[in-house]
Amino acid sequence: MYAIVVMINVGIFVLLALSLNIITGYAGQPNIGQGAFFGIGAYTGAVLTGKFGIYFWLAMPFAAIITGFIGFFLGLISIRIKEDFLAIVTIALNFIVAAVFQNVEFFGAAMGLSVPPPNWFGESLSYQGYLTIIIILIILVVIFSKWIEKSWLGMALGAIRNNEMAADSLGIDTKKFKIMAFVIGTSIAGLTGVVYAHYMTFIMASDFGFLTSVTILSMVILGGNNTIRGPIIGAVILGLIPEVFRFISDYRLLVYAGILILMIRFQPSGLLGDDSFVWNKLKLLKASLGRRRGA
Amino acid sequence: MKRSFISLFLLVILLFAMSSLVMAQDVVKLGFFAPVTGPAAADGESALNSAKLAVEVINEEGGIDGREVQLVEYDDHLDSKQSVSIAQKLTTRDNVVAVVSGSYSGTTRPAATIYQNAKVPMISAYAIHPDIPKTGDYIFQQSFPGPVQGRVGGYMAVDDLGAQKIAILYVDNDFGSTLNDNFQEYVKEKGAEVVYVDSFAIGEREFNPVLTKIKGLNPDLIYVVAYAGEGAAIMRQSVDVGIEAQILGTEGMDSTTQFLQVAGEAAEGLIITTNLNRDSEEEQVIDYINRYTEKYGFAPDMVGASTYDAFMLLAHVMRQVGPDSEAIKDAMYEVEDYMTNTGLLYRYTEVGEAIKPVQVQVVKDGEFHYYDQITDMDIIAP
Amino acid sequence: MFLQQLLNSIAIGSVYALTSMGATLIYGILGILDIANAGAYVLGAYLGLLFYSLTGNIIISFAAAMATTGLLGILIQKYVYRPLLSQPAYIPLIASIGIFIFIENVIRLIAGPTIKQFTVKLPFSNLDYANLHINNVWVLIFIVALILMFLLWYLLKMTKIGLAWRATSQDLDIAKTMGINTNKVISLNFFLGYSFAASAGILIGILYNSIYPTMGSVVSYKMLAIIVLGGLGNPFGTVIAALLIGFIETMVGAYIGFFIPRNAIAFVALVIILLISPKGLFTQKSRI
Repeated sequence: MYAIVVMINVGIFVLLALSLNIITGYAGQPNIGQGAFFGIGAYTGAVLTGKFGIYFWLAMPFAAIITGFIGFFLGLISIRIKEDFLAIVTIALNFIVAAVFQNVEFFGAAMGLSVPPPNWFGESLSYQGYLTIIIILIILVVIFSKWIEKSWLGMALGAIRNNEMAADSLGIDTKKFKIMAFVIGTSIAGLTGVVYAHYMTFIMASDFGFLTSVTILSMVILGGNNTIRGPIIGAVILGLIPEVFRFISDYRLLVYAGILILMIRFQPSGLLGDDSFVWNKLKLLKASLGRRRGA
Repeated sequence: MKRSFISLFLLVILLFAMSSLVMAQDVVKLGFFAPVTGPAAADGESALNSAKLAVEVINEEGGIDGREVQLVEYDDHLDSKQSVSIAQKLTTRDNVVAVVSGSYSGTTRPAATIYQNAKVPMISAYAIHPDIPKTGDYIFQQSFPGPVQGRVGGYMAVDDLGAQKIAILYVDNDFGSTLNDNFQEYVKEKGAEVVYVDSFAIGEREFNPVLTKIKGLNPDLIYVVAYAGEGAAIMRQSVDVGIEAQILGTEGMDSTTQFLQVAGEAAEGLIITTNLNRDSEEEQVIDYINRYTEKYGFAPDMVGASTYDAFMLLAHVMRQVGPDSEAIKDAMYEVEDYMTNTGLLYRYTEVGEAIKPVQVQVVKDGEFHYYDQITDMDIIAP
Repeated sequence: MFLQQLLNSIAIGSVYALTSMGATLIYGILGILDIANAGAYVLGAYLGLLFYSLTGNIIISFAAAMATTGLLGILIQKYVYRPLLSQPAYIPLIASIGIFIFIENVIRLIAGPTIKQFTVKLPFSNLDYANLHINNVWVLIFIVALILMFLLWYLLKMTKIGLAWRATSQDLDIAKTMGINTNKVISLNFFLGYSFAASAGILIGILYNSIYPTMGSVVSYKMLAIIVLGGLGNPFGTVIAALLIGFIETMVGAYIGFFIPRNAIAFVALVIILLISPKGLFTQKSRI
């Protein structure tokens, strides 16, 4: 049971990291405010099921769409504001969104929102049920991400990521593709938010602040930006730190920050990034195994 | 034949000895979680200190029927994902019989659901969100709920201090907004006028603009719902700005080291609603304050005292019915007139809210002293 | 009362200016958003208290704390930031966040999480004239801010190394080929940037008579908002932006009431201004 809860927590981060990867990885747009979209999805879902009595399974996609809609506006902003300025705007938006949730009565304001448990054939969804949903979602998002990588969208985003001006001059509609990346990335985060809200049964604005966004970004960068395996491994590592290091819980943040600094300093492409030490070694290993089999 | 008999005999003795050793190691585990790291580290540390002291004292007094009490403590970093995960761990792996929450409302609430479902009694030491005890019959609050404190504040403001024009500043989380709502309800009913209301975020220190504005409105009293850091800043700056109105505070400012020392002379005359009476003549309160100060080097605060009491209450109940989760839960509702360091616990309501008197303290000569104690059932019953 | 609120806003603005100066200098030279600067702010406050409790002399404590923190700045840029210059901008940003969290926690583990007092007796008292009140620490902040700004201006405009600094911030590579010792310039830049943050931390600690490990959290993002508004890398613009934010926050609080948290105001202003002028109020052209 405890193991299942830990896996759910890690799974949620995996989904969030994968969602951010589409924006900050594939499209190369710095986003330190993904927590806001996680929150928008969570609150929207909670309001839909809690205040309007909508079926959880309907609320999920609906909240994701609404989140993506707001992500659309961030995408619009990204056309005008770029790079580190954009990064700061995402921080600003994160803050503003959290402030709205903290102060607007409809969202429970300071008291937070209670979320009713979803219905699964007459019974409340169990933890195993949540874990199943999350695993299914992860598989879907991975498949989707792989599809993006191979598609026109992925190539366009890659061009934008490398050099936006050059991509523009080549006739690529950078505006359209950037917006698409934001919409997709934020919708997935929103979808995760709905699941999270119902799993926690109670949400507060502070769950979705700057620290959350930084954590998600760290996971992507730690594991390897612009890959699928990277965000997953990053989320697993950073998500498990609180559990693994519980015996030194006082030093946990110190360890976390230390790992972050060391990783960024010595391996900015991430643990399993395309150019990293570990990944290169793994590739060599794969190659040598292949050779042996062939011979 | 004789030799094998002797060896068998010795074996039996050995087994007996081992089993009694095993039984002696049979401990009573109590779970605990608090935000020891993170933005609420000061309160978390205070709670943890008291928890450790409480368990020490309980064991000194013989434990529970001779069995040692073991504290299983965790740091939730003021993150609800952590408190939920900790709750799972405590109820499935650590096999605790009961849990005390030394954390804030935001982290305690989602965790409470887990304890309720696992049928493990949980007492929230100082998180006063009214929905926490409503989670279920296994969930209790150690201190009077937020709305009660807000009402008592209103009573003090209007009925005791005679204020007719009141300004309010409150921290914008659930603690602040609960107290603000109930305070306003009470004072408005009594005909007082609320001339100004404003909120601020935790960690805010700059109050000159808003205090300047309040001064211009000339209220009789300012009701401040804040934690030690902001509260100290408000006290200092209100002196700076030249405000002479009486200031009424809450348990958030109940701390010698963090509030009184920082606010200094500016805190003189402040009245707060809280649950720890420093002037109490009850021996156990004096003992607790002395012992805590001796062990940790500084005086305990409301957070510490509440946490300590939660553990002592559990010990009291366990000594009556044994360390069994369900028995503990049932016995909690039977508790009547039990004296804690934070006031006499009359009893629990059917949803697990504590009915206790509210202490009112005043800052005189740089220390908290007794001002009043509210026992009027009309006000303090949730 | 308006005059009093105006004074309030100038006081708050000066603090913001001093706090953000370090971050803007660092961005000006390396193009990095340095959140670790907020860590320098907290560290400076604690070092200041430490030295003050050891020596009893506030000026020595100031100088010592600023120097020590400045040295830390040099170390950080040498071992963490400079090797990362070839990476996309958000990489050093993440490193800086890591450093900030690291500093905060080291301080918490060593000094404890509770609020500590920082009481200093100043040689002059509060000013009360007519209906106006000016806290004596505000006067100190104003004086220190002026002195430091003047020193910075003198350094940048009147000295040889200042010239080298300006050249390096315009274009690092070209400056290098021109024979400028860019490493020395960058080190100086970080030394000053971090010591400025330290001085701000001490002043705030004295102003509110409290220092605590999390005192840098609001600063960490608010200073970003201010330096972006002021045009990254432009000290003059930063001062204007800081005063502006101080003014808006005070006036909104005084006359409209806070419909959103005070700290969000800086961000709302930021988003609006960036939408109008995507590179900040004062753009690259007017840099240093």
